[in-house]
Parts: sequence; C-alpha cells; structure tokens
Amino acid sequence: MAITTAIRNAVAACWRVFARPSVHYSLGFLTLGGFVAGVLFWGGFNTALEASNTEAFCISCHEMRDNPYEELKQTIHFTNRSGVRASCPDCHVPHQWTDKIARKMQASKEVWGKIFGTIDTREKFLDKRRELAEHEWDRLKANNSLECRNCHSAESMDITKQNPRAVKMHETFLFTGEKTCIDCHKGIAHRLPDMHGIEPGWNASAVK
Amino acid sequence: MLLSRRDYLKAQAAAAAAAAAGVSLPASAGNLLTGEGAKLTWSKAPCRFCGTGCSVMVGVKDGNVVATHGDVKSEVNRGLNCVKGYFLSKIMYGEDRLTTPLLRMTNGKFDKEGEFTPITWDQAFDIMAEKWKEALKKKGPTSVGMFGSGQWTIYEGYAASKFMKAGLRSNNLDPNARHCMASAVMGFMRTFGMDEPMGCYDDMENADAFVLWGSNMAEMHPILWTRITDRRLSHPGCKVAVLSTFEHRSFDLADIGMVFTPGSDLAILNYIANHIIQTGKVDKDFVAKHCNFKRGRDDIGYGLRPEHPLEKKAKNADKATESDPISFEEFAAFVAPYTLDKAHELSGVPKNRLEALAALYADPKVKVMSLWTMGFNQHVRGVWANNLCYNIHLLTGKIAQPGNGPFSLTGQPSACGTAREVGTFSHRLPADMVVTNPEHRRHAEEIWKLPDGTIPEKPGYHAVLQDRMLKDGKLNAYWVQCNNNMQTAPNTAKETFPGYRNPENFIVVSDPYPTVTALAADLILPTAMWVEKEGGYGNAERRTQLWRQLVNAPDGARSDLWQIVEFSKRFTVEEVWPEELLAKKPELRGKTLFDVLYRNGQVDRFPLSDCAPEYENFEAKQFGFYLQKGLFEEYAAFGRGHGHDLADFEQYHVERGLRWPVVNGQETKWRYREGYDPYVKAGEGVRFYGNKDGKANVFALPYEPPAESPDADYPFWLSTGRVIEHWHSGSMTLRVPELRKAFPNAVAFMHPDDAKQLNVRRGQEVRVTSRRGEVRVRVETRGRNKPPRGLIFVPFFDHTVLINKVTLDATDPISKQTDYKKCAVKITPVSA
Amino acid sequence: MTSRILIAALVLTAAIPALLMGGVSGVVAADGKPGPALSGPVVSSGPHPITLDRPAEATNREIVDDVKRVRNYADQPPLIPHAVRDYQIDLNVNKCLTCHDRRNVEGSQAPMVSVTHFQDRDGQTLGTVSPRRYFCTQCHVPQTDAKPIVGNRFRDFDAVLSTAPAKEGAK
Repeated sequence: MAITTAIRNAVAACWRVFARPSVHYSLGFLTLGGFVAGVLFWGGFNTALEASNTEAFCISCHEMRDNPYEELKQTIHFTNRSGVRASCPDCHVPHQWTDKIARKMQASKEVWGKIFGTIDTREKFLDKRRELAEHEWDRLKANNSLECRNCHSAESMDITKQNPRAVKMHETFLFTGEKTCIDCHKGIAHRLPDMHGIEPGWNASAVK
Repeated sequence: MLLSRRDYLKAQAAAAAAAAAGVSLPASAGNLLTGEGAKLTWSKAPCRFCGTGCSVMVGVKDGNVVATHGDVKSEVNRGLNCVKGYFLSKIMYGEDRLTTPLLRMTNGKFDKEGEFTPITWDQAFDIMAEKWKEALKKKGPTSVGMFGSGQWTIYEGYAASKFMKAGLRSNNLDPNARHCMASAVMGFMRTFGMDEPMGCYDDMENADAFVLWGSNMAEMHPILWTRITDRRLSHPGCKVAVLSTFEHRSFDLADIGMVFTPGSDLAILNYIANHIIQTGKVDKDFVAKHCNFKRGRDDIGYGLRPEHPLEKKAKNADKATESDPISFEEFAAFVAPYTLDKAHELSGVPKNRLEALAALYADPKVKVMSLWTMGFNQHVRGVWANNLCYNIHLLTGKIAQPGNGPFSLTGQPSACGTAREVGTFSHRLPADMVVTNPEHRRHAEEIWKLPDGTIPEKPGYHAVLQDRMLKDGKLNAYWVQCNNNMQTAPNTAKETFPGYRNPENFIVVSDPYPTVTALAADLILPTAMWVEKEGGYGNAERRTQLWRQLVNAPDGARSDLWQIVEFSKRFTVEEVWPEELLAKKPELRGKTLFDVLYRNGQVDRFPLSDCAPEYENFEAKQFGFYLQKGLFEEYAAFGRGHGHDLADFEQYHVERGLRWPVVNGQETKWRYREGYDPYVKAGEGVRFYGNKDGKANVFALPYEPPAESPDADYPFWLSTGRVIEHWHSGSMTLRVPELRKAFPNAVAFMHPDDAKQLNVRRGQEVRVTSRRGEVRVRVETRGRNKPPRGLIFVPFFDHTVLINKVTLDATDPISKQTDYKKCAVKITPVSA
Repeated sequence: MTSRILIAALVLTAAIPALLMGGVSGVVAADGKPGPALSGPVVSSGPHPITLDRPAEATNREIVDDVKRVRNYADQPPLIPHAVRDYQIDLNVNKCLTCHDRRNVEGSQAPMVSVTHFQDRDGQTLGTVSPRRYFCTQCHVPQTDAKPIVGNRFRDFDAVLSTAPAKEGAK
C-alpha cells in the first residue's frame, strides 16, 4: 500500500512541475528546444530501430547465427542465379510501421530469451522450432504472406517461365486467392520442424 | 556368322546414324507380348558394388542382361536395391569395353613409350612370361608382384594366392582391400584373435540404438541404412547417433549428430570408456570372465617412408603391434584423464551430446550397435579406433548377442570373402592363417600338396609399399587386376605413377574398361566382369554367396580367373623353384604351374558334367574340368572344423548365401555365444575362441594427432570418399548414363563462409593443392554434405578430378591402411 | 547378301554388334591369329591424365522439365524430373511425400509412390509408406544435362526381342 501511495505522490509532483508555466526559459526556446529534442529522440529511435532491422543485428546473437542463419545459407533465398537475396528482416520484419512496432514488441521476448538463455543450445532450438515456426506461419497466414509478396508479386509472375507443375498450382490456388504463399511454401529458407499433423497446402483435406 | 572388319565398321556407322536420328524400334506399340516370348530367365547374383552383399535378380533375354531388381528372397535386402544396384544391368555395356589385349609397341615390338596396339592373348602371355622370368632370374621372387581386389571372386583370389605364394613363391600379393578395411582386420585380430564380426545384420532389427563412427551409411551402405531407418522409425525409443568430421546424409536420421575435429574420435572413445567406469556401469562379471587388459605401444609413427622425419621421430615405429598385460585398475587409470572436458576440448563436440552418447553405451538396458567403415579404417590410428570401440562393448558386455555389438562394415563386395577369408594379403593365408607362422605354412602346403618350404615366410609388400618398391625399382613385373589403383592409391602422382612408368618395370593391368590405371600400363588385358563369369563373394556379415555365369563376355574379354590359370601354364616348376625344393617332391619335375597348382588331383576333380546344364561356364570348358567348384572345395578344406566352415558348393547355389561357420548345414548368426555358435560349448556362455585363453583383449591406447594437420600454408583439412551414385573410382557407374547424369563430376564440398572468405562461390573452379599435388575442381557450398569451416570433402570417383594426387600416403603403422580422410590443403581460385 | 541382312539387323538395334551375342565360343585364346577380336575401342597412348593440369568440367544444369523418362526395365526406379533443391527428408518431414504420398496426390497431381513401397521387410502391406523406403534419394535421383562419358550398349527387352529373329536368319 505504501508503495502505491509513494508512486501516486511522485506522479502528482511531476505533473505539478510540468503544468506550471516556465519562469526561466522563453517560449521560443522551449518550442525550438522541444523540436530539436524531438528530432533527436525520434531520429535516435528510428536509427536504433533500423539498426535492429539489419541482418547483422539478428546474427549478432549466436542462437540466430548458428541456427536459422546457418540453414539459410543453403537455400535459394541466400544463393541463386541473380544474387538477389533475402536477409532476415526482409521476411521477418513487417515493412508497415504499425506492424513493425508490433513485431518489435514481440521480438523483445526473443531478446529476453537471449539474455536468460532459453535457447542456448542447438537441442533447445530444435525443441522450440515447431513453436517458433508456427508463430511465423500464423503471422504470414494472417497478413496474406505480405513479406513474401513484397518481392514475389502474383501479378508480376510470368508463368511461361515457371515449370508446368508450379503453373498448375499457382493457377489453382494462388491466383484464385484460395491459398496464400505460406500455405504451400513452408521451410523454404530454414529447415522444417517436426511436421506431424500439418497438411501440405495443396492437400484437398486442408481446404477448409 | 563371319563378318569382315569393313562390314562391321559399316554396320556400326549405320547403327550409330540410326541411333542419332532417333529411329525407334519396331515394338508392338499397343499390344501385349504374351507367352514364351515375354519371359525372361531370372537368376540370382550378389550385387557387384559394396560390401552389403544385396542379392540381385538378373533377367536375361537372348544372351543379354535386360533387367535387374532386388531379390525378395534375400535376407540382406528383401527386394530392395540402391540406385546403383538398380542400374547394374548397364554396367557391362559401356561402349569402350576392351575386347583385345593391348601392348605398348613401336614397329611391332614392345616399347615402354610405344602406342597401345592390339595383340592376341597368346602374344600377351608371351611377353608377360618373358618379363616375369627375366625379373625372377635377375632379382628373385620379391621382384614380381600382384595387386588384386576385394572385388575378385573367391575363386580368383584363391587362384591368385596359390599362383603367387606357392607358384611364384612371392608374397607380394595384396588386395586393394588394404586401402579399405585392413585396420578392421588388425583390430579384430588384436582384440579377438579372429577376423570378422561376431554379429550380423540381424542386429539391426534388434538394437535400441545405433552409433555410426565414421560411416555415411545413408550413401555408402544404403540398403543397410533402410534397415536402420526401418528400426529407428518403427521401434519406440530407438536412437541414432552419427559421428563424422562433416555433416552428411546420415545426419538426417540422427537424434544425436556430432561433427568432431579429425582424429579426435580416439579421445571420444576413451572418454566413453572412462564414463562407463566412472559411473559404475562396467559389467564386472563379463569383464572378469571374458576380458584381458593390455597396454599397446604409443608413438608408433605414420607408415610413411622410413626416412620421413615423422618416422625417424617416432619411438615405437618398429614396435607398433606390441603390447603388455595390465590390470583393470591400470586400464581405468589410463582412461581417467579422458574426461568430458578433455573430450570436448579435443573434439569440439558440445558436452551435452558427448554425454548423451556415453549414456547410450552405459545404460545396461539399451542394446547398442556400433557401425563403422572408412572413418575408422582409413585413419592413421585405425587399428586403435577399432580396438577402442571394442573396449566399450566389452566393458559393458554388449557384444555377440542380438542387437548388441560392434559391427565393422566393408566397402567391397568380397572384402571379407576374398581378401580376408581367402587371405590375399601380403601376410596372410586362407582361414586367418599367416605366412610368418611355420605351422600355418606347413598346413597350407599340405593342403596344396606342395613340398615343405614352398611358401616364403617373409610378408610381401603391402599396397602402399608395392607402389614405393615399383618406384624404387625393386618390384619389376607387376600385375594389377580388378581395381583402379592409379586413381585410388594415395599420393598417386608422386608415389604410384612413377613406378608404373619406371623403365625397369613391366606393368600389366586387367580391366573391362580403359581406366586411368590401364592407361598407365604397358599391357592391358580385357576382362570379363560380374555375371559374365561364375563367381562367389563374401559380404560383411560372413555371408558367402555364389552365382552362375549368366551371359557371355564380349568376344575377346576373359575373366581374371581364366587369365591367372592360363598364365600359370607358361611356367615350369624348374623355372620358378630352386632345386632343393624340387628335390623334396621329384614327381613334380617337368610340370607346369598349371599342373602343380590347378591340375593337382583336387582342383580338377569335378568333371564338366557337374556344371549346371542351364548355364554357360567359359572357364570350365576351357580347362576341361569344373574349375570353380574344384577351387572352392579345396579352399573350403582350410576352414572346415576350424571355425570358418563353409557349406557344400552346391548349397550356395540354392540359398541366398549362408553365414559361416556353417556347421551341419546351419549358418551362425552370432559367434562366440552359446546357443548361437556351435563352437561355444554348453555352459561356457561366451567364449572368444580366437584367442587361446578364450578371452578378448581390452586395449589401453591414447589419443595421438594425425600425420598432417592444417597450418598457415595449407589451412584446410581434406577428406575424400564416395557418393551414393558412384562406386569407388566410377569405372562402372560413370558408364551408366543415368548415374553419370545424376552426379556427373566430383566437387569440393565446402562451408559457405569459407567460400566467402576465399572469394569463391558455388560452381567456381578452384585448385586444391597439398604438398604433394593439386587438382582443379568446382566448389559446392550446399547439397548433401555440409563440412564445418576449415574442412573440404572431395569424392574420388571422378577420373577428371584425380584427388588422390593430393592425398597423403600416410598409413596406420599396424594395418598399413592409408588415411584418406585427413591431410592439409590450400585452396586457390582459378581465375578465368 | 548375308552381311547385308546382318547390317540391317544391326541398324535396327543401334547397339551392340551381333558378333558379341549368343554363345560364340569358337574364338578362343591362344589361337595365335589376329582376327576380328583385335578390333576394339581406341585407347589413348598419349600423355597420362595424371600428368595433366586438367581444368574442371563445366557445371551441368539440372533437368527440371517434369517429363517422365522411359524406364530401362520395369523394376528401374523412375528418375526425378524436377528440382529437389533443399528437399528435406529427415526425422521431421519427408518433402517428397508431401506430393507423392497416397493422401496427397489429388492436390499435387503427382504420381503416387508405387504399391511396393507400402510393404515392410516381410512383404506385409502397411497403411502407410514403409519406413524402410523413407529416404527416397537412395533409389531415385534427379538428372543433369551432362553428356555420358561414353555410349552404353545396353538394350532393353524390346530391343533384344526385335533383333532376335534377324540374328536367327543370319545364321
């Protein structure tokens, strides 16, 4: 009880200082100063945000470097004909600001995991893999595979350049909007977790 | 049926044109062919490739092999084959099959620098006999030699052994199996006093855990991998542990995958022994009754040339095989320093995984099968690795019972049957006997009906030594059969090739195809292969399998067996034996080696009429008696009653093989254990009867570093090996278009970060260079093999990437087997 | 005339010369006379491959055209006509079966794994693909456009059958 009272008192004191008109500084100074401080704060926030949006940041944790990143190196999203490659945030960080912030909040949990060693061995990563993968599948399912579509636009696909199997699949499921990328293309950049109970996207029984 | 050469060429040209134009055959498009016409003749034969010993059904139509499939009646594979096995039908039909002997000639005369010129078989044996006799006269029997194979049929290996060791009185006979499982042999002999596994493949249906120590079974023993996969996926709680110096396909089934620093497997093995002792999991009763403890010599060198600094430095290079008895307590103290920390530090494997592995062995309720191939055997401490693995099984008593046991896999189809059991090594005789033992020699001479003292007592040159002696001009007349050593020997450019081209030497190579070895020869002999001859193989689980001749060889090609036996006619005993030897058996005077060795009243005792009437038998018809049966029965006399019992010849043509010892028609699945092994008496429980006291030896042996490790100049490890699509040097599988197209060329598997650091990328050409030589090869950063940083893996099947120019000719000093898995290289991009 | 018939037969086979077929046992060793047996492939006597600094062969492209290939015989495992890069087959998942398993072929329109694949070691048919058949690439392999190192004269059943009468006639 004493603590809540103390907090309440502290908040009230702060408010009083904040609400009282300035005695020492001009309004102009305050406005300008506030603007500069705001720019600095916002710039700093964004810089930090951007810095945390690079692959280098992601793989500065060895859990990321040794597990998902190591696996990525084998895949087509890392090496391919034209050398255009996806980095971690391309797929895992939403481009829209609100989504991005939401994802960042979620990511703080991962940082927690890093600090407290939830996934400090390969074995623990493998144990958690299904859960971690499901988060990403759910997210991509919910946003209609937005991060896939940032690069792979269905409108821009030249199906004459695709192999006949892919054409058929895309015509049946993608262009009709019946399915979204992640329904079929799971595990394209990392190894898959135990897939028991998960039907492939093209499976009739999976069509709800 | 006469066709002039011109007609023949015309026909070939027309045929080629038709093929190029895509002319299809007038098959009955929509109709079914019925009745007799649709039928194939199906016969069994073991697969021509690895040591698994799958039985294959071979479909023949009008003298052609037109189909093959896995034999459903075979215990080994139950209807399955791997991709190579499924394409066996095509290995005999490569367009460049050799059909005539080819001698290097200039102006109609032999010339070491001349052009390969077709000659007759008669001419070929003339020049061979001349060269052999010249060498024998000049320098004696140690100047002639033969390099054979674990792919030789039992008959071929046996005929060769008699021809060399008794006929020419030279022990310079060694098989390429030396490169393959000599360390396994010495491991067995040191621990059990008797070669080959105590268990069998049935262990795979009974084990709770499998540990692969340096074996990529998923690619190299795929059918056995199907049995382990079956067990892992259908037996609850079953675990698979895979250890290797790089990640490969077998890791796909692994519960515990471990990539360790090359050579540190020795430390891991000792750590496990230590863990078992420290946690009180030693089966004390078993150990007390059935084990001796010994301390082997350390610092034993690396099997390099004696003048090499490493050999000069080694204090026990000449005493590598010695050991002293110790107590259990001394053994425990010896392994005590191999703690978890130390094993982790040396191997780089995370501690939790090392502990999990040790726990599998330590838990008395878990039945463990350990398996290994070249990771253990091609190892400068390969014999030790084998011994240390046996230690673990002996300490826990997990041996010689269903599901529990160490199992040494073999690489070649008859590494066991021919190389080991027949004894085609430079120190061996049939049935585990050795040339250095006077009783063994006498016994062999008795069976062979030869005078005392025929077989020389000094071991001959082993594989690597043969190459060195050829180069040094001490081995001068040399015959290579059934292998491709110019591609597969270590350090070929510096140590193998010079000997073949040494002007003092005459080199003969028998092969169905013009391999790189054949191209280095002076005389090439065209050879019949696989089901073009009657044969017999023995697989890794002691299973002997025989087959019939199912088709004829291309006209002009002859089996190795025919070649050896026919060539023996070119020598009279007077020409090859000293007078004092002849004086002991004057009745042999004037006879040829053919008479003495093969028409000796034993080998020739089965008439032609004993041959199966529905099959051809070229060799029998040529020599006028059932040669193969005669050889088999004489050979079987060595093992019957001595723990190596073979069944009657004819029984093997009915069964899908039998595991020796076969006593009273019954095969043996688990040796050394009462109830399974007829040689263990009631009440004995377990008896390791290979050793006189019936006990197995647990060896105290340390970790020692490899012969060569990466340094500033050569910063990468190089490991070599195989891929599933190709077998050994690819001389057969590369001629099957489907297999060639599946994996066309060798690549250097590399970690992507190493590639990045070298500024190379997948598909780019690099030079892989060691202190010995270099090759050019393309980089692979993904796919089936994932090396850790600092290690590359290059397969050896590709004749355009002769990776063995790069490898080091260091061997295990005890087994003399090469370490193909560890040497240091540098990698430099090839600028376009 | 005889030889013409033979040539015709050989054209049809586009393969191994009739000379090599059937039990030709007349030509044996030690006859001393150079005959047709002395022909054969030309074997290089030139500089040995080991002495050459041989450039690595070009990388071959995968064949991913989805076109089924004729099998050499009924028991030959079909080749994989599509890309299998990064196909995961391990304790977690078998990517191949996501299309080729019985349950999934309607959606994928891929060929179902053969019925033999449902049999266990003892020949009993199981409800699913047998675990012993789990690792597909032990038998099924993709192809590249690599050229064969030499031709192969293997002839399938039909090819052998269609030349049999011609061979008889030539005798």
